[in-house]
Amino acid sequence: MRAIHTIAWKDIKNLLTSPLFFIIAGLCTVLWSYTFIRNIMQFAENSRQNMGTEAGMNLQREVFMLHISQINLLFVFVVPALTMRLLAEEKRLRTYDLLLTSPVTATEIAVGKFLAGFGSVAALTAISFLYPLSVRAVTAFPMAPLLSAYLGVLLVSAAYVAVGLFASSLTESIVLSVVMGLIFNILLWFIAQGAGGESSPNVAAVLEYMSIGQHFLNFLLGSIKLKSVVFFVSLIGLFVFLTQRVVESSRWR
Amino acid sequence: MIDVRNLSKNYGDRPAIQNLNFTVAKGEVVGFLGPNGAGKSTTMKIITGYMAPSSGEVQVAGFDVFADPMEVKRRIGYLPETPPVYHDMFVTDYLTFVANLKGVDKTRVKSLVAGALEKTSLGDVRNRLIGNLSKGFKQRVGLAQALVSDPEILVLDEPTVGLDPMQVAEIRQLIRQLKGQHTIILSTHILPEVQASCEKVIIINRGRIVAEDSLDGLSRRMSGGGHMVTLRVRRNQDAVLSGLQKVAGVRRAVNSGNFIEVESDGNENAVEQIAGFVVGQGAGLLELRVQALALEDIFIKLTSGVATV
Repeated sequence: MRAIHTIAWKDIKNLLTSPLFFIIAGLCTVLWSYTFIRNIMQFAENSRQNMGTEAGMNLQREVFMLHISQINLLFVFVVPALTMRLLAEEKRLRTYDLLLTSPVTATEIAVGKFLAGFGSVAALTAISFLYPLSVRAVTAFPMAPLLSAYLGVLLVSAAYVAVGLFASSLTESIVLSVVMGLIFNILLWFIAQGAGGESSPNVAAVLEYMSIGQHFLNFLLGSIKLKSVVFFVSLIGLFVFLTQRVVESSRWR
Repeated sequence: MIDVRNLSKNYGDRPAIQNLNFTVAKGEVVGFLGPNGAGKSTTMKIITGYMAPSSGEVQVAGFDVFADPMEVKRRIGYLPETPPVYHDMFVTDYLTFVANLKGVDKTRVKSLVAGALEKTSLGDVRNRLIGNLSKGFKQRVGLAQALVSDPEILVLDEPTVGLDPMQVAEIRQLIRQLKGQHTIILSTHILPEVQASCEKVIIINRGRIVAEDSLDGLSRRMSGGGHMVTLRVRRNQDAVLSGLQKVAGVRRAVNSGNFIEVESDGNENAVEQIAGFVVGQGAGLLELRVQALALEDIFIKLTSGVATV
């Protein structure tokens, strides 16, 4: 437990104080500021025009969901950049030797690293949360669907972190680590594509269940489904486990 | 303390080490000597539990490295060839991190870090980024990292490689100070290092042990009792050289630039004769050094396959 804490704390401190994190967070805010304000202006314009005519104009759907989809899209690319160094750099700088000759297990290394990566991504998510929150200064809206959507964001980004960590464990090249993480993330989204052309309904159902998009959408729509939570937690568990196997393998290779 | 039995490791088809057997007793300082690529680092990595051997076993402090890796790792401080330092961390933070990673008692972390800083005289740079330190200081931080958990055993893989002579001397001094507090294994291909710090030598070549003995024992056995006398004179070097050939007890005298090197039969009378002769010649004796046949010669004899012990 202490080893996990030690590893996670060191890495999260390094990540959050690195220029990498500042540049990424800075550029993300530039993008979000531009699009979020545009979306909300658009929404204000539409609702003025449609005053009284159209019911169901809805902040959550018209503004927040766009914002959150954009966060998700961005995270597919950004999270591998945050996680790329977690293990690849340890190998490159030979500090991996220190980890492997210290009395810590492969599981502690994998979990500690995962928590560090997740912490930094959670910090980025918290920044993005300021945008919808700021709308509260102007108008009241129900918080529950927004919180549900953000739970979805946290789960999906944790999955990207686990994937990125696994990619980072496979190589000592940082570039390769980021590219692999990216492709794995995109693969997760494209698995469901197979469902459309599948003739067997059973296989189609399985592929659909494996689609990250469907589960994420549940959260966006404000419904926290147990099966979706289970899906994300198992996805995260799987990739952390794979990372643990890779770390462990250096002992007997 | 360390018990290595029938240890072998192959990288693919290429054997790195074959059937190593040796033991290191508690408190000993052992030099692990061999040319580059002899298998020194591989052996050390296996002892520290970094990698597994292809066959054989290693016991450290009574624990098997593979059955009980945690117990073994708790007892070992390891300095790899490249010091495992994070360039974007401060020295003190880094050592605190390592102490926590090694699982030392929480209440002792602070004092152990302070102790390691003091032993390696890193006090002045404690608040600097490791990345900004010179190579010598990085190496010292690496050494402090190995020391910080106050381990029973220190495994140092080429601790002085790439340092300037001043820093080399400092590191050797430090290793001498650590003698008695820790059991130390030190690998190197630099011979004076072993002479300077170790009591026992294990010479390894192409994955096999070719000699294992105390430093004195090894020189005695290999030199056949010979001495090497190095002379420096102010004048008439050539005349002295030719005259020396006839002095009793001299086997060979050669000119090596500013020095004359004389190989004698190891009798002290011979040294006396040589000194007397040079002084008698009025050549202006500036320097006279007597050494038992150097480890260097033994090493070359052993690793070139001329002799086995």
